[in-house]
Amino acid sequence: MPLKIIESSERFIRFSVDGISPSIANALRRTLVNDIPKLAIENVQFHHGQIRDTEGNVYDSSLPLFDEVVAHRLGLIPFKTDLKMNFRDECSCEGKGCPLCTVTYSINKLGPSEVLSSDLQAVDNPDLVASDPNIPIVKLSEKQAMLVSAEAILGRAKEHAKWQATSGVSYKYHREFTVDKEIFEQWELIKNSCPDAVLKEDKKSITFTDDVPHRQIVQLFEAKGVRIVEDDTRFVFKFETDGSLNALEVLDYALKRIPQRINTLLDSVVSTD
Amino acid sequence: MIIPVRCFSCGKVIASDYKQFKEKISELSAGGKKPTPKMIVQTLDDLHVERYCCRRMILSHTDLIDEVLPFS
Repeated sequence: MPLKIIESSERFIRFSVDGISPSIANALRRTLVNDIPKLAIENVQFHHGQIRDTEGNVYDSSLPLFDEVVAHRLGLIPFKTDLKMNFRDECSCEGKGCPLCTVTYSINKLGPSEVLSSDLQAVDNPDLVASDPNIPIVKLSEKQAMLVSAEAILGRAKEHAKWQATSGVSYKYHREFTVDKEIFEQWELIKNSCPDAVLKEDKKSITFTDDVPHRQIVQLFEAKGVRIVEDDTRFVFKFETDGSLNALEVLDYALKRIPQRINTLLDSVVSTD
Repeated sequence: MIIPVRCFSCGKVIASDYKQFKEKISELSAGGKKPTPKMIVQTLDDLHVERYCCRRMILSHTDLIDEVLPFS
Protein backbone atom coordinates (compact mmCIF):
# COMPACT_ATOMS: atom_id res chain seq x y z
CA MET A 1 0.00 0.00 0.00
CA PRO A 2 2.51 2.67 -1.07
CA LEU A 3 1.63 6.21 -0.08
CA LYS A 4 3.09 9.00 -2.14
CA ILE A 5 2.96 12.64 -1.14
CA ILE A 6 2.31 14.76 -4.22
CA GLU A 7 2.43 18.17 -2.62
CA SER A 8 2.50 19.28 0.98
CA SER A 9 2.74 22.48 2.95
CA GLU A 10 2.08 23.32 6.57
CA ARG A 11 -1.69 23.45 6.14
CA PHE A 12 -2.32 21.51 2.92
CA ILE A 13 -1.44 18.08 1.63
CA ARG A 14 -2.17 16.06 -1.51
CA PHE A 15 -1.14 12.42 -1.60
CA SER A 16 -1.95 9.20 -3.41
CA VAL A 17 -2.48 5.73 -1.98
CA ASP A 18 -2.04 2.67 -4.18
CA GLY A 19 -3.77 -0.70 -4.01
CA ILE A 20 -6.68 0.04 -1.69
CA SER A 21 -10.44 -0.40 -2.09
CA PRO A 22 -12.99 2.43 -1.88
CA SER A 23 -14.05 1.23 1.59
CA ILE A 24 -10.55 1.69 2.97
CA ALA A 25 -10.22 5.05 1.23
CA ASN A 26 -13.46 6.15 2.84
CA ALA A 27 -12.33 4.88 6.25
CA LEU A 28 -9.26 7.08 5.92
CA ARG A 29 -11.39 10.05 4.86
CA ARG A 30 -13.76 9.65 7.78
CA THR A 31 -10.88 9.28 10.21
CA LEU A 32 -9.36 12.48 8.86
CA VAL A 33 -12.68 14.30 9.22
CA ASN A 34 -13.84 13.22 12.66
CA ASP A 35 -11.16 11.37 14.60
CA ILE A 36 -8.21 13.75 14.88
CA PRO A 37 -7.78 15.23 18.37
CA LYS A 38 -7.22 18.95 18.75
CA LEU A 39 -7.59 21.71 21.31
CA ALA A 40 -10.75 23.79 21.52
CA ILE A 41 -12.30 25.92 24.21
CA GLU A 42 -14.92 24.01 26.20
CA ASN A 43 -15.67 26.14 29.27
CA VAL A 44 -15.88 29.94 29.33
CA GLN A 45 -16.32 32.15 32.38
CA PHE A 46 -17.36 35.77 31.91
CA HIS A 47 -16.72 38.38 34.53
CA HIS A 48 -19.97 40.29 35.04
CA GLY A 49 -20.07 43.70 36.68
CA GLN A 50 -17.64 46.58 36.73
CA ILE A 51 -14.10 46.22 35.40
CA ARG A 52 -11.43 48.72 36.43
CA ASP A 53 -8.20 49.45 34.60
CA THR A 54 -4.91 50.39 36.30
CA GLU A 55 -5.84 54.09 36.37
CA GLY A 56 -9.14 53.41 38.13
CA ASN A 57 -11.42 54.05 35.14
CA VAL A 58 -14.62 52.05 35.34
CA TYR A 59 -15.77 49.87 32.43
CA ASP A 60 -18.94 47.88 31.91
CA SER A 61 -18.81 44.16 31.19
CA SER A 62 -21.84 44.05 28.86
CA LEU A 63 -21.03 43.10 25.27
CA PRO A 64 -22.76 43.82 21.96
CA LEU A 65 -23.17 40.06 21.43
CA PHE A 66 -24.80 37.62 23.84
CA ASP A 67 -22.36 35.79 26.09
CA GLU A 68 -23.31 32.41 24.59
CA VAL A 69 -22.60 33.72 21.08
CA VAL A 70 -19.17 34.93 22.22
CA ALA A 71 -18.56 31.57 23.94
CA HIS A 72 -19.50 29.74 20.74
CA ARG A 73 -17.13 31.89 18.69
CA LEU A 74 -14.35 31.25 21.20
CA GLY A 75 -14.97 27.51 20.85
CA LEU A 76 -14.48 27.61 17.08
CA ILE A 77 -11.05 29.26 17.25
CA PRO A 78 -8.24 26.80 16.38
CA PHE A 79 -5.28 26.59 18.73
CA LYS A 80 -1.85 25.09 18.16
CA THR A 81 -2.18 21.61 19.61
CA ASP A 82 0.24 19.36 21.45
CA LEU A 83 -0.83 15.76 20.78
CA LYS A 84 1.05 14.57 23.86
CA MET A 85 -1.67 16.05 26.03
CA ASN A 86 -4.26 13.76 27.62
CA PHE A 87 -7.96 13.61 26.95
CA ARG A 88 -9.75 14.89 30.02
CA ASP A 89 -11.73 11.71 30.66
CA GLU A 90 -8.60 9.55 30.32
CA CYS A 91 -6.36 11.82 32.39
CA SER A 92 -4.83 10.94 35.75
CA CYS A 93 -6.83 13.79 37.32
CA GLU A 94 -10.01 11.77 36.65
CA GLY A 95 -11.81 14.53 34.78
CA LYS A 96 -11.24 17.33 37.26
CA GLY A 97 -8.93 19.23 34.93
CA CYS A 98 -5.17 19.53 35.38
CA PRO A 99 -2.25 20.97 33.36
CA LEU A 100 -1.86 17.60 31.58
CA CYS A 101 -5.31 17.79 30.00
CA THR A 102 -6.36 21.45 30.15
CA VAL A 103 -5.05 24.74 28.78
CA THR A 104 -6.40 27.90 30.37
CA TYR A 105 -6.76 31.09 28.34
CA SER A 106 -7.67 34.57 29.42
CA ILE A 107 -8.82 37.74 27.69
CA ASN A 108 -8.53 41.13 29.29
CA LYS A 109 -9.41 43.85 26.85
CA LEU A 110 -10.66 47.40 27.24
CA GLY A 111 -12.82 49.24 24.74
CA PRO A 112 -13.12 50.84 22.31
CA SER A 113 -11.46 48.03 20.39
CA GLU A 114 -11.92 44.84 18.46
CA VAL A 115 -11.19 41.65 20.41
CA LEU A 116 -9.10 39.34 18.24
CA SER A 117 -8.03 35.74 18.71
CA SER A 118 -4.49 37.01 19.40
CA ASP A 119 -5.86 38.60 22.61
CA LEU A 120 -6.35 35.10 24.02
CA GLN A 121 -3.37 34.49 26.24
CA ALA A 122 -2.53 30.99 27.37
CA VAL A 123 -1.69 30.69 31.03
CA ASP A 124 1.49 28.53 31.50
CA ASN A 125 1.58 27.41 27.82
CA PRO A 126 2.86 30.35 25.75
CA ASP A 127 3.30 28.08 22.69
CA LEU A 128 -0.31 27.04 22.41
CA VAL A 129 -1.56 30.27 20.85
CA ALA A 130 -4.43 30.66 18.40
CA SER A 131 -3.13 29.45 15.05
CA ASP A 132 -4.86 32.36 13.32
CA PRO A 133 -4.18 35.66 15.13
CA ASN A 134 -6.74 37.80 13.27
CA ILE A 135 -10.09 36.16 13.99
CA PRO A 136 -12.49 38.82 15.29
CA ILE A 137 -14.38 37.65 18.38
CA VAL A 138 -16.40 40.72 19.35
CA LYS A 139 -16.22 44.49 19.19
CA LEU A 140 -16.18 46.72 22.25
CA SER A 141 -17.45 50.27 22.31
CA GLU A 142 -16.32 52.97 24.68
CA LYS A 143 -16.55 52.15 28.40
CA GLN A 144 -16.95 48.45 27.63
CA ALA A 145 -14.43 45.83 28.67
CA MET A 146 -14.10 42.10 28.47
CA LEU A 147 -12.65 39.92 31.20
CA VAL A 148 -12.94 36.25 30.36
CA SER A 149 -11.22 33.04 31.29
CA ALA A 150 -11.61 29.90 29.22
CA GLU A 151 -10.56 26.26 29.41
CA ALA A 152 -9.51 24.37 26.32
CA ILE A 153 -9.42 20.58 26.17
CA LEU A 154 -8.67 17.93 23.57
CA GLY A 155 -11.59 16.47 21.68
CA ARG A 156 -12.63 14.81 18.44
CA ALA A 157 -14.92 16.17 15.74
CA LYS A 158 -17.47 13.37 16.15
CA GLU A 159 -18.43 15.11 19.37
CA HIS A 160 -18.48 18.70 18.11
CA ALA A 161 -17.32 20.41 14.90
CA LYS A 162 -15.10 22.79 16.90
CA TRP A 163 -12.68 19.86 17.28
CA GLN A 164 -12.47 19.38 13.52
CA ALA A 165 -8.85 19.86 12.51
CA THR A 166 -9.31 19.27 8.78
CA SER A 167 -11.55 20.71 6.11
CA GLY A 168 -12.18 19.83 2.51
CA VAL A 169 -11.11 16.20 2.90
CA SER A 170 -11.73 14.50 -0.43
CA TYR A 171 -10.44 11.77 -2.67
CA LYS A 172 -10.78 10.76 -6.29
CA TYR A 173 -9.55 7.95 -8.51
CA HIS A 174 -6.25 8.36 -10.26
CA ARG A 175 -7.16 9.15 -13.86
CA GLU A 176 -5.17 8.87 -17.07
CA PHE A 177 -5.89 10.66 -20.33
CA THR A 178 -4.27 8.98 -23.32
CA VAL A 179 -4.25 11.46 -26.17
CA ASP A 180 -3.92 10.43 -29.80
CA LYS A 181 -1.60 13.10 -31.15
CA GLU A 182 -3.05 12.94 -34.67
CA ILE A 183 -6.68 13.44 -33.67
CA PHE A 184 -6.27 15.90 -30.77
CA GLU A 185 -3.80 18.42 -32.07
CA GLN A 186 -3.70 20.87 -29.13
CA TRP A 187 -1.82 18.34 -26.98
CA GLU A 188 1.37 20.36 -27.11
CA LEU A 189 -0.36 23.35 -25.54
CA ILE A 190 -1.36 21.25 -22.54
CA LYS A 191 2.08 19.68 -22.34
CA ASN A 192 3.73 23.09 -22.20
CA SER A 193 1.37 24.61 -19.67
CA CYS A 194 1.49 21.68 -17.24
CA PRO A 195 4.58 19.52 -17.85
CA ASP A 196 4.16 17.81 -14.45
CA ALA A 197 0.93 16.21 -15.64
CA VAL A 198 2.66 14.17 -18.37
CA LEU A 199 3.02 10.51 -17.41
CA LYS A 200 4.47 9.07 -20.61
CA GLU A 201 4.93 10.06 -24.21
CA ASP A 202 5.80 8.30 -27.44
CA LYS A 203 5.55 9.17 -31.12
CA LYS A 204 1.83 8.51 -31.48
CA SER A 205 0.36 9.31 -28.10
CA ILE A 206 0.87 11.20 -24.88
CA THR A 207 -0.62 10.40 -21.45
CA PHE A 208 -1.68 13.03 -18.92
CA THR A 209 -3.01 12.74 -15.39
CA ASP A 210 -5.17 15.16 -13.41
CA ASP A 211 -3.87 14.14 -9.97
CA VAL A 212 -3.04 17.80 -9.55
CA PRO A 213 -5.94 19.70 -11.12
CA HIS A 214 -5.07 22.10 -13.89
CA ARG A 215 -7.37 24.34 -15.89
CA GLN A 216 -5.93 23.20 -19.24
CA ILE A 217 -6.57 19.51 -18.57
CA VAL A 218 -10.32 20.05 -18.20
CA GLN A 219 -10.73 20.29 -21.98
CA LEU A 220 -9.56 16.67 -22.35
CA PHE A 221 -12.80 15.39 -20.79
CA GLU A 222 -14.89 16.17 -23.86
CA ALA A 223 -12.27 16.08 -26.61
CA LYS A 224 -12.13 13.58 -29.45
CA GLY A 225 -9.15 11.24 -29.62
CA VAL A 226 -8.77 11.04 -25.87
CA ARG A 227 -9.15 7.80 -23.93
CA ILE A 228 -9.90 8.26 -20.22
CA VAL A 229 -9.03 5.45 -17.83
CA GLU A 230 -9.76 5.58 -14.11
CA ASP A 231 -7.93 3.31 -11.70
CA ASP A 232 -10.25 2.29 -8.86
CA THR A 233 -7.40 0.96 -6.73
CA ARG A 234 -5.40 4.18 -6.69
CA PHE A 235 -6.76 7.15 -4.77
CA VAL A 236 -5.66 10.75 -4.77
CA PHE A 237 -6.49 12.47 -1.47
CA LYS A 238 -6.30 16.08 -0.46
CA PHE A 239 -7.18 18.01 2.66
CA GLU A 240 -6.30 21.16 4.52
CA THR A 241 -5.97 21.81 8.24
CA ASP A 242 -7.00 24.83 10.28
CA GLY A 243 -3.45 25.33 11.55
CA SER A 244 -3.93 23.59 14.90
CA LEU A 245 -1.86 20.70 13.56
CA ASN A 246 0.55 20.27 10.70
CA ALA A 247 -1.00 18.51 7.67
CA LEU A 248 1.62 15.74 7.80
CA GLU A 249 1.06 15.30 11.54
CA VAL A 250 -2.66 14.84 10.89
CA LEU A 251 -2.05 12.23 8.20
CA ASP A 252 0.40 10.40 10.41
CA TYR A 253 -2.08 10.33 13.28
CA ALA A 254 -4.95 9.18 11.03
CA LEU A 255 -2.95 6.26 9.63
CA LYS A 256 -2.17 5.09 13.16
CA ARG A 257 -5.74 5.67 14.26
CA ILE A 258 -7.42 3.39 11.67
CA PRO A 259 -6.02 0.11 13.11
CA GLN A 260 -7.02 1.29 16.60
CA ARG A 261 -10.58 1.90 15.43
CA ILE A 262 -10.77 -1.51 13.76
CA ASN A 263 -9.41 -3.19 16.90
CA THR A 264 -12.11 -1.49 18.97
CA LEU A 265 -14.65 -3.13 16.66
CA LEU A 266 -12.91 -6.51 16.86
CA ASP A 267 -12.78 -6.34 20.67
CA SER A 268 -16.48 -5.60 20.93
CA VAL A 269 -17.46 -8.62 18.80
CA VAL A 270 -18.43 -11.48 21.12
CA SER A 271 -18.74 -15.02 19.90
CA THR A 272 -22.06 -16.69 20.63
CA ASP A 273 -20.76 -20.14 21.62
CA MET B 1 -23.82 40.66 12.61
CA ILE B 2 -20.15 39.72 12.79
CA ILE B 3 -18.41 37.40 10.34
CA PRO B 4 -18.79 33.73 11.42
CA VAL B 5 -15.52 32.15 12.54
CA ARG B 6 -15.80 29.11 10.29
CA CYS B 7 -17.50 28.18 7.04
CA PHE B 8 -20.90 26.62 7.87
CA SER B 9 -20.43 23.75 5.42
CA CYS B 10 -16.79 22.68 5.51
CA GLY B 11 -15.39 24.19 8.70
CA LYS B 12 -12.56 26.24 7.21
CA VAL B 13 -11.66 29.31 9.26
CA ILE B 14 -12.81 32.27 7.15
CA ALA B 15 -13.13 35.07 9.72
CA SER B 16 -9.53 36.19 9.32
CA ASP B 17 -9.78 36.10 5.53
CA TYR B 18 -12.84 38.36 5.55
CA LYS B 19 -10.79 41.28 6.87
CA GLN B 20 -8.13 40.92 4.18
CA PHE B 21 -10.82 40.51 1.55
CA LYS B 22 -12.51 43.74 2.61
CA GLU B 23 -9.19 45.61 2.60
CA LYS B 24 -8.32 44.39 -0.89
CA ILE B 25 -11.75 45.20 -2.27
CA SER B 26 -11.63 48.72 -0.84
CA GLU B 27 -8.17 49.09 -2.42
CA LEU B 28 -9.60 47.95 -5.76
CA SER B 29 -12.56 50.29 -5.53
CA ALA B 30 -10.43 53.32 -4.66
CA GLY B 31 -11.42 56.41 -6.63
CA GLY B 32 -14.98 55.26 -7.30
CA LYS B 33 -14.01 52.30 -9.50
CA LYS B 34 -16.07 49.14 -9.29
CA PRO B 35 -14.09 45.89 -9.01
CA THR B 36 -14.91 43.49 -11.85
CA PRO B 37 -16.07 39.93 -11.10
CA LYS B 38 -12.68 38.70 -12.33
CA MET B 39 -10.89 40.88 -9.78
CA ILE B 40 -13.09 39.53 -6.98
CA VAL B 41 -12.44 35.94 -8.09
CA GLN B 42 -8.70 36.66 -8.14
CA THR B 43 -8.85 38.21 -4.66
CA LEU B 44 -10.59 35.13 -3.23
CA ASP B 45 -8.16 32.79 -4.99
CA ASP B 46 -5.21 34.73 -3.57
CA LEU B 47 -6.65 34.25 -0.08
CA HIS B 48 -6.93 30.48 -0.76
CA VAL B 49 -10.70 30.61 -0.32
CA GLU B 50 -11.37 28.14 -3.12
CA ARG B 51 -14.54 26.18 -2.38
CA TYR B 52 -17.83 27.90 -3.10
CA CYS B 53 -19.15 27.12 0.40
CA CYS B 54 -16.40 29.31 1.89
CA ARG B 55 -16.76 31.95 -0.82
CA ARG B 56 -20.43 32.53 -0.11
CA MET B 57 -19.60 33.05 3.58
CA ILE B 58 -17.46 36.03 2.65
CA LEU B 59 -19.38 37.36 -0.35
CA SER B 60 -22.84 37.28 1.25
CA HIS B 61 -21.86 38.64 4.64
CA THR B 62 -23.17 41.98 5.95
CA ASP B 63 -21.25 43.35 8.89
CA LEU B 64 -23.81 44.89 11.23
CA ILE B 65 -21.89 44.85 14.51
CA ASP B 66 -21.02 48.54 14.21
CA GLU B 67 -24.73 49.34 13.92
CA VAL B 68 -25.66 47.62 17.18
CA LEU B 69 -22.54 48.71 19.04
CA PRO B 70 -24.07 51.98 20.40
CA PHE B 71 -27.06 50.11 21.86
CA SER B 72 -25.28 47.49 23.97
